[in-house]
Amino acid sequence: MNIRSITTITLLSLCLLGAVIFRLIVTRNIDGSISLALPEDQYFVYRFVPLIAALIVGAGLGVSGMGLQVLLRNPLASPWILGLSSGAGLGVMAMMFVEHKYNVGFYSGQSVGAVLGALLALCLVYLLSRRRGGIDPMTMVLVGVVISVICGAGIMLLQHAVPMGLRGSFTTWLMGSLPEVEPWWKLAVFGAFTILGTFLIAWWGPTLDAACLSDDEATSVGVDLPSIRRKLFVASSVLAAIGVILAGPIAFVGLIAPHGARLVVPGSHRTLTIVTAIVGALLLVCADDLRQLIDLGSGRLPIGIITSIFGGLVFLVLLLRNRGRV
Amino acid sequence: MRLQIKDVGMRFGKLHALQGVHASVDGGKVVALLGPNASGKTTLLRTIAGLIQASKGSIELDGVKVNRMSPHDRASKISWVPRVAEVAGSFSIRRVVELGRYALGPSPMRVDDALAQVDLLDRSETLWHCASAGMRQRAALARALAQRTPGGLLVLDEPSSALDLSHLKALGDLLRLCASEGDVVIAALHDISFAMEIADEVIVLKEGKVVLAGETSAVLTPSSLGGVYGLDLTWAVDDAGKRHLVMP
Repeated sequence: MNIRSITTITLLSLCLLGAVIFRLIVTRNIDGSISLALPEDQYFVYRFVPLIAALIVGAGLGVSGMGLQVLLRNPLASPWILGLSSGAGLGVMAMMFVEHKYNVGFYSGQSVGAVLGALLALCLVYLLSRRRGGIDPMTMVLVGVVISVICGAGIMLLQHAVPMGLRGSFTTWLMGSLPEVEPWWKLAVFGAFTILGTFLIAWWGPTLDAACLSDDEATSVGVDLPSIRRKLFVASSVLAAIGVILAGPIAFVGLIAPHGARLVVPGSHRTLTIVTAIVGALLLVCADDLRQLIDLGSGRLPIGIITSIFGGLVFLVLLLRNRGRV
Repeated sequence: MRLQIKDVGMRFGKLHALQGVHASVDGGKVVALLGPNASGKTTLLRTIAGLIQASKGSIELDGVKVNRMSPHDRASKISWVPRVAEVAGSFSIRRVVELGRYALGPSPMRVDDALAQVDLLDRSETLWHCASAGMRQRAALARALAQRTPGGLLVLDEPSSALDLSHLKALGDLLRLCASEGDVVIAALHDISFAMEIADEVIVLKEGKVVLAGETSAVLTPSSLGGVYGLDLTWAVDDAGKRHLVMP
């Protein structure tokens, strides 16, 4: 790691620390004014939990997006290209439908539905993308799109079958939002998986560099492409699934964070993975900071709306600045 | 090093890209692979380099089947130069050349030497997407040079297609140098004059079959090559007294 990378990581970490402190102290008062002060002890947890979730989800989605961009050799790849969010959405909707239809309640029903749906979508995408013992990137993109469309149709079908009230609840899930109440063990497990996934992908950095060559060239320099693609698929999927389970579908972070990281540290994926994790976490914490400052009279905006609007604009600016080369 | 191509066949669905290809090449030789478009040159080279597996037959290096080699062994014995090199990341030319050492361990000296050999040392920090087609082709060659072990196999698919005259001359010298160090050098070429200049032996493919093979001077004649390409060819003699195959 060279001086430039170390300086960049230090500066980004300081920015992240600033955003974290701001999130902890920014308070919207009942009259709509903003003040900066730590909340009372009993309310502190309601800031700390979403903050930890934002760090986990942001870092995980960013690294997942970077892994998928290498895996699929596509700079526009993001975790949603695997059909993960629509699979999770279908799982959530199916769980709601079952709970309503049979008048039963499951522990963490939405989370369980999201996990099952995401896993099912991922398994289908993986199995259908296999070719000659490995994953074929182009087939994976196409299969991911098809799975998304099918899951989307399933969601609409189930939405049609449940009462209006449940549809609203599902729409809220679709917007993506950081949880204010989550068991600590869950955050600890997801946090540990995110750190492990990030560490593993950073460890594979030199292989990811070589995998950026064409398939023939990568194979000729000694890369075991089927193996690294399988590992990347699993690691990226787990990181993205954690994001979906914790916060629902959060758009653009998985797409923007790797590109933002490449702007400041072009080159080796080992450094890039670390920087992408910090940029992803920074993006989501900043989005959370921003939504505390916006009041449209209908409560705080779901964070997915902020990431979609600002992520889209930032991506457009990057696209125009680089004249179409992202 | 001895390269043996034993009864190699390759099918893509109903298409027979290669049929019954036999050849044997000893170290120290430069072999030019010639033939019309879609004659199977790239398919044969990819099979030789172990990038795809033949539907029939085998490729052996010193008696060891290429497709049985581990990725590390293959990388240490076979270097590959594609017709068009592709890089998806935001890398400098130096980083792309360094990737040739991926399986073999970093060697800044080998990378510098390889960059100097293709005249890219002073432009090694140029980003890949800013490099011209010729620079990319030379960078791909440099990567193979940084990777190669003397006495190995160097496989090149149209390595001269984007090169100017001076770099074409340098390419010829480099291939001869590699051969002099014991490599088997096999390159698909369209430039017949260049092939005559550098190759010890020639294999000519047509419709997936070997139609001509042997020493360059014996194989590359107006009548034999004219028959392959369906053209009337003749000799022309340049000021230095060298003979070239030309279309009248």
